[in-house]
Amino acid sequence: MIVAEWKPIPELLASLKGHKNVLLVGCATCVAECAAGGEREVLTLAPVLKMGLKDQGQEVNIITRTLERQCEPEFVEELSEIAPQVDAIMSIACGIGMQLVAERFIDLPLYPGVNTTSLAIREQAGLWTARCAACGDCMLGETFGLCPVARCAKSLMNGPCGGTRKDGKCEVDENTECIWRLIVERAEAKGRLEDLVKVRPSKNWSNSGHGGPKRMLREDLR
Amino acid sequence: MAAAKKDKDFSPEIVALYCRQCLDAEERPQEGARQTKGFTARLVMLPCSGKVEAYQLLKILEQGADGVLLVGCPENACRFLVGSRRAEKRLTRAGQLLDLVNMGAGRLALKRAADLTTADILALAGQLAEQVKTLGPSPMKGDSL
Repeated sequence: MIVAEWKPIPELLASLKGHKNVLLVGCATCVAECAAGGEREVLTLAPVLKMGLKDQGQEVNIITRTLERQCEPEFVEELSEIAPQVDAIMSIACGIGMQLVAERFIDLPLYPGVNTTSLAIREQAGLWTARCAACGDCMLGETFGLCPVARCAKSLMNGPCGGTRKDGKCEVDENTECIWRLIVERAEAKGRLEDLVKVRPSKNWSNSGHGGPKRMLREDLR
Repeated sequence: MAAAKKDKDFSPEIVALYCRQCLDAEERPQEGARQTKGFTARLVMLPCSGKVEAYQLLKILEQGADGVLLVGCPENACRFLVGSRRAEKRLTRAGQLLDLVNMGAGRLALKRAADLTTADILALAGQLAEQVKTLGPSPMKGDSL
């Protein structure tokens, strides 16, 4: 899922300064799963913003909506009736959803309520960890299903580096496993350790953001 | 100074959310407003304190209540096993957010007890009312209860 986190409350309050009617809009898909932008979070953030602005001497009316998917135009269209009643929109969907709303309601200022941070899984209740970096040239087949691009702090193609801690954690974060240690262990367990010393072609980074904004075209679907 | 004193003299409005499992077996569940000396309590019965979400606690305060009391079962006596613990986590989360907007986490309280009567719940609400008096009336008062 796409993972996002609330921006700091003071930053959110500052962005809404001077607005009287605000539409706070969430998304019931990825950001709901990571407890940042679903209906529950919309309902949580709305009173917080209202109380925070009141504390700063500002009365604000906050209208709340949660779309099934904020990244699909058909769902964003549901806001067309309510949009004329507000003077600003705050979205707590991922950056994709936010941009679609901004594009559809171009006359209204759109403020991001969250920072979109990663493509992750819910590893435990209340803990999300990155699994994919959308690099555009998946190498999971060569790394035994463990992604060094997203899960190695240095995105090494040939780890582990010399900084792995004695307990197998990453030198950058004591709570993060050294993914190359896990890759080596998995290779050993499968009796395929020698696969890791094979020379591989260079990774094709041009299919990720390094090749400019990604554009995918399927003529058969147009 | 006079204004501060006046604030402390106000009669807080406390919303008391209580788990029905906390009640004494002989006690008939009560709901609605109770005017008591020094504060007003609005009793709301829940199937479990773990049913409460952080946003509900915040919404009640946003609408003008001075404090919210959540009454749950003793931690290891929850009929739904983890309801009472979930309630504490959610109340803590709501309290952290209240502190960020200068409302004060002290407007929320969780009490755990068993075999309660309505009078017991009102007494617990009274304790929160005294705590809330130090914070003053809710700045959100107006649209209110």
